[in-house]
Amino acid sequence: MSVSLLEIKDLTVGFPAEQGILKAVDRVSLKMEEGKTFCLVGESGSGKSVTSLSIMRLIDYDGGDILSGEIFFHGEDLVQKSQEEMIKLRGYKLAMIFQEPMSALNPVFTVGDQIAEAVMLHQKKGKKEAWQDAIEMLRLVGIPAPEVRARQYPHELSGGMCQRVVIAMALVCKPEVLIADEPTTALDVTVQAQILDLLRQLKAELNMAILLITHDMGVAAEVADQIAVMYAGVIVEEGTVEQVFSHPCHPYTLGLLKSIPGYESERGKDLYAIPGNIPSLAQLPQGCRFHPRCVPAREKCRLEEPVPHDLGSGHVVKCWLSEGAERAEKRSPDLPADMNQGEVNGGKEVRTL
Amino acid sequence: MREYFLRRLLQSVLVLFLVSLVTFALIHSAPGGPVRIYLTPGLSQEAAKVQAHNLGLDQPIPIQYVRWLGDLLQGNFGYTFKNHIPVGKILWPTVGNTLILMGVAWFLSLVIAIPWGIYNSTREYGLSDQSAAVISYLGFAMPTFWFGILLQELFSLKLNWLPLSDMYTMGQARNILNLLPHLVLPVTVLTLGFLAAYVKYSRSSMLEVLFQDYIRTARAKGMPERRVVFRHALRNALIPIITVLGLDLPILVGGAALTESVFNWPGMGRLFVEMAMAREYSVLMAITLLTAVIVILGNLLADILYAVVDPRVQLAGRGGRAA
Amino acid sequence: MSGIPIGESPLSGNSLPGGNPGPEPAPRVMSLGGMAWRRFLRNPFAVAGLVVLLFFVIVALFARFIAPFDPARIDLLTSNLPFGSGAHILGTDELGRDIFSRLLYSSQVSLLVGFSVAFVSVFIGTLIGAVSGYFGGFVDTFFMRMVDVLNSVPLLFLNILMLAIFGSSFVLLICILALTSWMGVARLVRGTFLQLRETEYVEAAKALGTSDWRIITYHMIRNATAPIIVNATLMIGGAILSEAALSFLGLGIQPPQTSWGQMLSNAQAYMLTDPLQAVYPGLCILVVVLAVNFIGDGIQSAIDPRRKVRRPRRRWGH
Repeated sequence: MSVSLLEIKDLTVGFPAEQGILKAVDRVSLKMEEGKTFCLVGESGSGKSVTSLSIMRLIDYDGGDILSGEIFFHGEDLVQKSQEEMIKLRGYKLAMIFQEPMSALNPVFTVGDQIAEAVMLHQKKGKKEAWQDAIEMLRLVGIPAPEVRARQYPHELSGGMCQRVVIAMALVCKPEVLIADEPTTALDVTVQAQILDLLRQLKAELNMAILLITHDMGVAAEVADQIAVMYAGVIVEEGTVEQVFSHPCHPYTLGLLKSIPGYESERGKDLYAIPGNIPSLAQLPQGCRFHPRCVPAREKCRLEEPVPHDLGSGHVVKCWLSEGAERAEKRSPDLPADMNQGEVNGGKEVRTL
Repeated sequence: MREYFLRRLLQSVLVLFLVSLVTFALIHSAPGGPVRIYLTPGLSQEAAKVQAHNLGLDQPIPIQYVRWLGDLLQGNFGYTFKNHIPVGKILWPTVGNTLILMGVAWFLSLVIAIPWGIYNSTREYGLSDQSAAVISYLGFAMPTFWFGILLQELFSLKLNWLPLSDMYTMGQARNILNLLPHLVLPVTVLTLGFLAAYVKYSRSSMLEVLFQDYIRTARAKGMPERRVVFRHALRNALIPIITVLGLDLPILVGGAALTESVFNWPGMGRLFVEMAMAREYSVLMAITLLTAVIVILGNLLADILYAVVDPRVQLAGRGGRAA
Repeated sequence: MSGIPIGESPLSGNSLPGGNPGPEPAPRVMSLGGMAWRRFLRNPFAVAGLVVLLFFVIVALFARFIAPFDPARIDLLTSNLPFGSGAHILGTDELGRDIFSRLLYSSQVSLLVGFSVAFVSVFIGTLIGAVSGYFGGFVDTFFMRMVDVLNSVPLLFLNILMLAIFGSSFVLLICILALTSWMGVARLVRGTFLQLRETEYVEAAKALGTSDWRIITYHMIRNATAPIIVNATLMIGGAILSEAALSFLGLGIQPPQTSWGQMLSNAQAYMLTDPLQAVYPGLCILVVVLAVNFIGDGIQSAIDPRRKVRRPRRRWGH
């Protein structure tokens, strides 16, 4: 087994609130390998953004506290580092891009300035050299006439263009890990596809690992090597893209898959939606956090929190119902009827809409 | 860009014209009206009639207005009623005195308030922030002339450290050494007033900016916090501060009246109060218009600064041309 | 496809409880105003402000019964008495008038000016803002230029000028102050209206043939009520300060009527002999205005707990 580039162990992140400390992320663990794409999937409020901000240690600025756990990057625990030490890593070895490209850029500086700034700071290059790097990077992310664009302000660019600039800004120092928090959500569908293509291509060129945060199973299927599904602060299922898409074992994963248009080939049927809403952190249900929305939930699910359960070769699921899931893959008859649906289609094919 | 300023300039001229119209209308509705301003006092009724005719005061109001405006543009503000002194002669010296007082207080309050507000925005509800809040509340609720009187009682009468009032001590050379001790108390009063508002503005403006996405981007880029605050946040926070400073100009220009009256400072504000008591309309009119000019010029300056700081304003200008 | 689709299971649906098993207490139905009031009561500064203001209101209402002396009674035999002189608790001024009684009566002037100026200028401002925002076009341009004009002349100067021209009377003072302080409310109401004008429910009301007047008063002003109330509260403080300033300059309240500002101008003249005389009226102004501002901030954060207090621009208290 190769040594992981980035490994999170039992990360718990809390936010102080009137009701006490709310745990937005609860004992999350994950491993990222070099050159691979890891997708963190879940509804908004599931804690995926908090996880990513914690890796960057930006969560400190949003009022969150890392309560326990470790985040190893090249064997060093980022949780123990001071902000001064993190500054040297952020934007250099660890980079991040955000959801809203328009508001992620500072309106009063030219885009070239904003990209070159990181180069000057981390690679100690002069202004001219940094500017050249910035233009090179703009070219690499597919911006036409980068010399002209570099001198423009964010409000003079389109949304897709801005996201390319944001990506250029994140990648200009050739980071080892790129965290992309919903990088395509705010964009048009056609632009979305372009940006995903770009990320895939740049990943190969720069040989970096990507942590992609998304609520969109379709996006995950397209780019991920490894997938973790988050729900209400915990990872409920994790595995390779084949494992999760071909044999989804958690009812929540299954629900997410079924809500992709065209996942089930029944035309004319209503699009599937998981019943209910994600619970508020202040009122987490007892037992399994998903049980109020889970149809096949049993008595045990209401009382006890499930423990992670390895189905073999890294496919881990946190669900009491999966006790029998090894057999489920052999279509066990004692599995609840709904669970069987998970096996219908492989994920990857599904995306060819 | 040019279009933008031209448009603002035109707007300013329009507002100035309206101010003159309103002032003129007000004065004309006063008992005695313009006749009091322009006629030599003490004339017989017959002679007054002749002079009024010669001065055009028996002409229709619109024509009078145009002539009055023409006189103004040539720098003729009219004469005082009492001693028939040209208004300019008593007005101009007071303008400089007010500018000295207000300039010092304003500069001082900005130099203190903006860094203080920035500091407080990064340490919300800390000791420094709390004390600024107390000062803000006091500054907003305290009659500043009362504060001035209290300072006079304490530092001039009781402790005898500073002069009670006036700009210079009589019988001494009118130099800066004479001026400085006289400045201390009125400047303290005015500075507290400005400080109360500006600390609040700069703090809240910074706070708003510090939670923007691009600040998080800057941090994600690995910018040190100092650079995040002073480069990425400050420039954006300055935009609303500049607007507010521009809008506050009338307070700045007119606000001296009370402080000047308390400390007997020979400025424009005190002159205005004195002339109001004496019903010297010509002087009141001149000062009103002059302050309007100052305010409008200041607002134009704020617009220019605004455009320098915020690149999006230039686009608005271009958009205006395209439309 | 086999199996029961999850979404159609009788167990699911949107009526699921938030998560807590067992009976949940039904959420108590509370009006928006009730909730805001509760939040207001939890704010100690706001409550203190309210108590202080009520205290002054009571003092003003019953000044006649509380005051030991007629505030205008001149008695040169007992002039310039210091603090704590028998029946004259706070002493007397240079004409022998009882300072304590004058303080009590002055609270009537301050509060009356404060409340009526706030009321009248909110009325004017709402009307102008509503008409501008609703009709737009020429009407809007006209009123907004008027706002520009008023904002480019120092309001203190304008007030002094108008008082000098038209003379000083109590009613006139209120009118003049109100006429020069409606701009903030007008801007605010206009802004709200510009937003609301395009909304569907106003469109719908128009389509149903509702009259403009009814749309303005019934549908739109209600939406701007909360910020107007906050603005009005803070304006009370501004008006009290303005009255004090004008009276201090000798242009506001005239003797034999008395006000705190007027008392201060008197006290300044006798600073050397009785420095304490200047302390009381100023302190009264400070406390009342502070109380009103606390209430305003309290209302603001009770109505909209997330948003920070946006104070209307200060008049010209310097």
